[in-house]
Amino acid sequence: MKRNWQIVKSIVLYILLTAATIMMCFPLFWMISSSLKTISETNSPGIVWIPAQPSLQAYLDLLQNPTFLRVYFNSVFTTTLAIVGTLISIAAVAYAFSRIEWPGRDIVFFVMLSTMMIPPQALIVPQYVLFNKINWVGTFNPIVIPGYFAGGASMVFLLRQSMSQIPKELDESAFVDGASHFQIWWNIILPLVRAPLATVSTFLFVGLWNNLLGPLMYLQSVGLYTLPVYTSTLYNINQTVQPWPTIMAAAVLTTVPLIIVFFFAQRYILEGVVVTGMKG
Amino acid sequence: MPDNPYINLLVTAGLTILFIIGSSYGLGTLARAIVRARGGTPKHQQNTFAGYFFAAPWIIGFLIFVVVPLGLSLYWSFTDYRVTFTHAPNWVGLENYIHLITKDSGFRASIVNTLYYTIIGLPLQMGIALLLAVLLNQKMKGERVFRMAFYLPVVLGFNAAVLLVWRLMLNTGTGIINQIIRSITTSVPAIGYVVRAGIYVHEVINAFFLGITNGNFNLLNKVIETGFPAANRVPLWVQSPLWSKMPIVLLMIWGCGTMMLIFLAGLNNIPRELQEAAEVDGASGWQRFWRISFPLLSPYIFYNLIVGLISTLQIFEPIYVLYRDNQPLVPSAISMVYYLWQKTFSHFEIGYGSAISWVIMIIILIITLIQFRLQNRWVTYDIY
Repeated sequence: MKRNWQIVKSIVLYILLTAATIMMCFPLFWMISSSLKTISETNSPGIVWIPAQPSLQAYLDLLQNPTFLRVYFNSVFTTTLAIVGTLISIAAVAYAFSRIEWPGRDIVFFVMLSTMMIPPQALIVPQYVLFNKINWVGTFNPIVIPGYFAGGASMVFLLRQSMSQIPKELDESAFVDGASHFQIWWNIILPLVRAPLATVSTFLFVGLWNNLLGPLMYLQSVGLYTLPVYTSTLYNINQTVQPWPTIMAAAVLTTVPLIIVFFFAQRYILEGVVVTGMKG
Repeated sequence: MPDNPYINLLVTAGLTILFIIGSSYGLGTLARAIVRARGGTPKHQQNTFAGYFFAAPWIIGFLIFVVVPLGLSLYWSFTDYRVTFTHAPNWVGLENYIHLITKDSGFRASIVNTLYYTIIGLPLQMGIALLLAVLLNQKMKGERVFRMAFYLPVVLGFNAAVLLVWRLMLNTGTGIINQIIRSITTSVPAIGYVVRAGIYVHEVINAFFLGITNGNFNLLNKVIETGFPAANRVPLWVQSPLWSKMPIVLLMIWGCGTMMLIFLAGLNNIPRELQEAAEVDGASGWQRFWRISFPLLSPYIFYNLIVGLISTLQIFEPIYVLYRDNQPLVPSAISMVYYLWQKTFSHFEIGYGSAISWVIMIIILIITLIQFRLQNRWVTYDIY
């Protein structure tokens, strides 16, 4: 009796979970399915779950469109440069907060934690004026360079927590052997925090790849656009017929790197969310 | 600076690195000199240098990108500064703030909308996140796959390109969601009545909120006079101000994965023995959830509530993607941060925009302080 009840319970559970999964992943399915349709199929009433004759035309158009290729390259280029600089500076700052005793450390650390309360959007107006003054509006600089100053207090916090757990004896014996702080940081500590570094770079990648507000403010010509900005210009309310297959194909091509990173790094992401309690 | 944007970025990045290393070295040397003057040991001096050297990127960035902008924007918020000014801005005192709070209908709309997202959207989002977490916590095979599937929208959902698929799905005439609703309501009339009742209740609530925004309730009266919706009515998702907030709520629910993970962590922290002891004493699953899990989850619920509340002030991408050019719809869905962006970058009124950002910041600080005050009162932290 009790056993049967258990089986019924787990069947109900799987049905509920599968239903929820279908609903959560439906937009993704619809995006792919629509990218394979023709314009008339996407704009007419009547449900076409999967097009009878899938067409790759939208993808071919995009991949032959020099603007789209350039925009794709812009996204890859800025994201890569931003991740490298941000990651190294965050690792350096986390090292200072976890492995070195220096006067004022706790005060500086407290100030850094309090900056997490400042909404980033409260800074966009004055930052825009500053970047405008030094002629950085209309270049990639404002969306990449600020990260080089250890942008992201929660990421520094995450990395500092992991570095604090490494036994102190490790760097002390290295010190006795005559190693410098830089050597200890680079050769001993960084290799030991590979997993947290992967977590941080995944979060940075997702944040940068999805960034809309920054590129919208600073990249003021099509040649500089990144994928989110460019794709949202493909949808134009003044057109009577939207080129949905093309828009959805662009969305799929934008999503592919995110999904690849998510599948390879999901362990780091799911753990990192709980550690920092932040939005990914 | 070179004209090619790529080379420009590479050169700037290189110069920035040199600047950071140089100033880090300077800061470290300065700190070491101070410690030496105070008579610190050589080891202490060395650590001081290294500490400031390694922490310098953040300290310098904090000064350049946080302290200076905050100070400037506080000053500008009391002036009529515009980006195009070549002369010094005029001091206007509290005028920006007074206008913002008493006369600005757009800002008022953003406050009412935030209230809507908080009262209606947030409980739905948290409820679904909690439900999914409880389901996942049953420890069965394949839990990991489901957990990934529920978190995936958070990774994708803030990308404008991905959000466009919702614009396609929510289309009133040809969108898949309304197509599904139509085919269900025509084949099962009983569900049709439920859907129409839902539409009616939803429109009354939204008309009420729009009434608060506009200061008159004509629309609410009209909705009530029109009465029960006709049989062929479907939701007008991205078409009518009566519906424009609901897609944002749907997107909040779709992106509930972060909250779900927080709840899961909370459920994992509940000692198994408590559950088992209650089971031995004959408590039903329902009782065990409400009497044991729920109180012990209260810190996590509270955390999600505060974080969720702050993020409703900052909703940006969904509004941009769904309503950007659609003038009558934007004010009915707008968040505070979107309003800030719209106001600052359509007219480049820096003074006024600075005042808005300070108001948003003060609201967030107040919410955070309330969190610290209240959490001791009703949140169960000690369990043993």
